[in-house]
Amino acid sequence: MEKLLNEQVVSQIRKTFEQMKEPVHLLFFGSQDNCEYCADTRQLLEEIAAVDEKVSLSIYNLQDNADMAARFNVDKTPAIVIAAKDGEQVIDFGIQYSGIPAGHEFGTLINDIILVSGRDSGLSEEVREFLKNLEKPLYLQVFVTPT
Amino acid sequence: MIRAEGVEATEFPELANQFNVRGVPQTVINAGMGTVVGAVPEKNLLAEIKRAVN
Repeated sequence: MEKLLNEQVVSQIRKTFEQMKEPVHLLFFGSQDNCEYCADTRQLLEEIAAVDEKVSLSIYNLQDNADMAARFNVDKTPAIVIAAKDGEQVIDFGIQYSGIPAGHEFGTLINDIILVSGRDSGLSEEVREFLKNLEKPLYLQVFVTPT
Repeated sequence: MIRAEGVEATEFPELANQFNVRGVPQTVINAGMGTVVGAVPEKNLLAEIKRAVN
């Protein structure tokens, strides 16, 4: 199969991944139903995970793996969960992306991987304090486009 | 407790329409309880989150 990422991009990613501290686990969720970008998104993640051993990947299907989808709050496809990995344990930080991470959003995904790898949100004390005391779930959806 | 999801708007147009997404980035809080248009400073986002959850 033809690669989606050329050698130049792969070497840029490799350089960026030098900043990684702890392992990151990516979960891909695809679907049997008409999912225009599922195949490309899956291939993209496979190519990213091949760059650095700190990045691992598992492949799921929204229908066949409904339990995993529920556990990680995935309800659309393609979906990517950017989770932390500690030994064999996958730790969900609630960070996910729905759609193909193309164009601008490719850089966002790479940055998300670095962020999760550092295990630090980078948020201010004020925001951390507020979030720590949340009594109800908070769901943020950031709508973006590839351009 | 906290879920943060990037949504590719052109791939999920019904969702974008549901929340009246006019430009990107646009942040929708708790399925429409609040919304922030544009990339705003952290404290502005916090203010809107506080408004939306109360």
